[in-house]
Amino acid sequence: MYKNKGRSRFLVLCLAPATILFAIFMILPTVNVFRMSLFERGAYSPNETFVGLKNFQQLFQDSQFIRSMQNMILLVVIVTIITFGVALLFAAILTREKVKGQNLFRIVFYIPNILSVVVISGIFSAIYKPENGMLNSLIGLFHTMTNPILWKGETLVIPSLILAMVWQAIGYYMVMYMASMSSVPESLYESANLDGAGRVTQFFQITIPLIWTNIRTTLTFFIISTINMAFLFVKAMTSGGPNGASDVALNYMYSQKDAGLYGYSMAIGVVIFLFSFALSACVNRVTEREPLEF
Amino acid sequence: MKKAIALTLAASMALSLAACGGSAASSTASSASTAESTSTSTATSEATPAEDVTIKVAAIETAYGSEMWQKVSDAFTAQTGIKVELTTDKNLEDVIGPSMQGGDYPDVVHLATGRESALTEQFIKGNLMTDITDVLSMTVPGEDAKVSDKIAGGFTDTSLTNPYNDGKTYLAPMFYSPCGLFYNAGLLEEKGWTVPTTWDEMWELGDKAKAEGISLFTYPTTGYFDAFFYALMYSAGGPDFFQKATQYEEGIWDTPEAQTCFDIVNKLATYTNPITPAQANDQDFTQNQQLVLDNKAIFMPNGTWIVGEMAEAPRADGFKWGMTALPAVKAGGDSYSYTWFEQCWIPSGAEHQDAAKQFIAFLYSDTACALFAESGAIQPVLNIADSLEGDNKLFYSIYDNGAKAAMGNFAAFNAIPGVEVRTIFFDPVNSLVSGSTTEQQWIDGIKTASDQMRANLIK
Repeated sequence: MYKNKGRSRFLVLCLAPATILFAIFMILPTVNVFRMSLFERGAYSPNETFVGLKNFQQLFQDSQFIRSMQNMILLVVIVTIITFGVALLFAAILTREKVKGQNLFRIVFYIPNILSVVVISGIFSAIYKPENGMLNSLIGLFHTMTNPILWKGETLVIPSLILAMVWQAIGYYMVMYMASMSSVPESLYESANLDGAGRVTQFFQITIPLIWTNIRTTLTFFIISTINMAFLFVKAMTSGGPNGASDVALNYMYSQKDAGLYGYSMAIGVVIFLFSFALSACVNRVTEREPLEF
Repeated sequence: MKKAIALTLAASMALSLAACGGSAASSTASSASTAESTSTSTATSEATPAEDVTIKVAAIETAYGSEMWQKVSDAFTAQTGIKVELTTDKNLEDVIGPSMQGGDYPDVVHLATGRESALTEQFIKGNLMTDITDVLSMTVPGEDAKVSDKIAGGFTDTSLTNPYNDGKTYLAPMFYSPCGLFYNAGLLEEKGWTVPTTWDEMWELGDKAKAEGISLFTYPTTGYFDAFFYALMYSAGGPDFFQKATQYEEGIWDTPEAQTCFDIVNKLATYTNPITPAQANDQDFTQNQQLVLDNKAIFMPNGTWIVGEMAEAPRADGFKWGMTALPAVKAGGDSYSYTWFEQCWIPSGAEHQDAAKQFIAFLYSDTACALFAESGAIQPVLNIADSLEGDNKLFYSIYDNGAKAAMGNFAAFNAIPGVEVRTIFFDPVNSLVSGSTTEQQWIDGIKTASDQMRANLIK
C-alpha cells in the first residue's frame, strides 16, 4: 500500500512540470484569446472595455478580413491538393520503382523542408525578380517578352505563393508517405502482378487503401500547417501586398494588433481557431474508412 | 535512497524547465558601474532629483548606430549625476514591448512614429504619454539657454509632437531629415535635362525620358508616399489646406486642391516604372531603389538615409546623388520638402518622470548635439546645418535654396477595424500603377474612411 502511494506520488511529480507548463503556456493563452476577443483594448493600455460580440460583428463587415480569409482558404485548398497529389506520386515512384539515385532524390526533395522560410522567400525573390529573375529569364529563352511578367504583382501573387509553399512542403509529406508505403508487404504486389493488375491499378487498389490512416493524418497536418505557413510566407515574401492582394487571415490579425486593436485581432484569432478545427473535423469525418490490415 | 535520487532528479528537471520560461535578456548596458542603485524614493517633485536615481532609457538603433546613445548617456550622467540604464535594439518594440505590457516602463523612449509595429502610435491613441510641455521652458542641463530657445522653429508646433492638437507637447522632436525626390544628378547632366520646378515640366521630362526607355518615377514601398503626399498637399493648398485635410474636415476631399493632389498622384502612376508594385514590399524594396541607381527610373521619394542604405549597391557610371523638393503645382508656386523627424517621449507609467524630463532637455545641449552629429544624426536645433559636410550639406541646405519645410501628419484617431492611413491613402497607389484601381475608386475609399476617422478623432 505504502509503496503504491509513493509510486503514484513519484508519477505525479514527474508529470507535474510538463502539465503545469502546458497549462500555463498552451491552455491559459488559448482561453485568454477567447476572453480577450470580447473586449476592446490596445496592446499597451491597461484598461479594457467589455464589448460582447461587437468585434465579431465588425469582423464580418470588414472587407479586408473577408478577402484575407478567402486568400487563406484558397491557399489551404490548392496547396493541399497539389502537395498531396505530387507527394503521393513521388513517394510511390521512389518506393515501388527502380530509379537510379533514389537516395539523392529523397534528399533533394526533403531539403526545402529544412530551410527556414526566410531563406526560401529569399530564393523565390530571386526566382520571381521581374528583371533578370530566373523564371523570367527562362521564359525569355523561348518567347520574347516586351514587358516582364510580374510574379509578385497583383494578379499573380497568389499563384506565386502557392508554388513556393508547395515546393517547401512536398518533401516532408513525401517522406511520411514513403514510410508507410514501404511497410506494405511485397507479397501483395506480387500476387496482384500474377492477377494481371497494372501499376496504376496496384497504386489505387493496394497502396492507397493500405496507407489510408496515414493519409488521413496528413490531411489534418495540411490544414494546420498551411494556415501557419501562409502567414510566414506572406510576411517574409510580400508583406500582404501589393495593396493587400496577398493578405492572409493570420497576417491581417497581426497587422490589426499593430493598429492598436488587440481585442479585434483576438476575435480574428478565434475565427481562425474555430475554422481550422471545424475544417479538420470535417476532413476527418469525410475520410473515415474501416482500417485495413495486412 | 533510490527514491531520493529520483525525487532530486525530478525536481531539478522541473527547475530547469521553469528556467526556460524566464525573460530573455536584452542588450542592456548600464552606464553606472555601481551594481544596485537604491532608488527607493520614487518621483521626486523637485527639479533636481536625488543623486541616486537611475533612469531607464530605451532607444531604437537605426542607421546611426547605438554608440552615440551610450556617449550621450555618459555625458548626461557626468553632467547631472543621474545614472542611465540604456537599452538599444534594432527591434526595440520586441525588447521593451512585453515588459511594458507587464507594467514595467522605461523612463524615456526614443522611437518614432510610422514604424510597422506602431508602438508609438498605440501610446498616442491610448493617451499613455506624459505631457512634456514644461520641458520646453526648462534650462538645458549645463547651459544657460532654455530648451525652447534651442529647438528650431516649427518643430514643436506639429501634430507629430502635439498629437491631440491642444497646444500641449507630448513628443520631443529628434533627428530630422529632409525628404524629397532623389535622383541621379549625373544622368540629368549627361542628357542635358534640368530638374523640373513645376509638375508640367515634370510630365515633359517624363515624355522625353520615356522616349529613351527610362521611366520617370519609382518608389521603394507605398509607405514612402506619406512624406511625398504631405509635401504635395502643402504645395497644392498651403498650410491651411494641409491642416484641414489632416484633421479630415468634412468635404475636404471634394475641394479643387484635393483633386489636384489626386490627379498628380494618378498621373504619376502612369509614369511609374511598371515593375515597381511587384517589388514594393519590405523584402524587395531595395530593388526599386536600385532602378534609380541603374538609370531605369529618374525620381523616387526618399530620405537622406538612402545614401548610406545603398552605399554598397552597384550603380551606373557617373552616378551622383541629387535631391530636389517636390515641384510646384503652378509656375511661381511654392515647392515643399517634407521634414521627417523622429520622436522621444516619456510613458505616463514611467517611474522617474522628472529625471526623464531632464534627460530630454539634455538631448538639445551642444554636447549631445555634437555627439549625435558625429554619427550623422542631426538634432533639430538652430544653426546646426552650418556644421555639416559632404552629401549631408547638400541635402540639409534644401531649405536654403527656396524649398519650404512641410511638417505634420494625419491626426491620430481611435483605432478602427480595417482602417489605417497607409492602407487607405497610400497602398492603393500600387493598384493605380498596375491599373486595377481607378482614381475615382481610390478617392471614394479615402472619403468613406475619412468620415470614420473624423468621427474617431482623439480629442
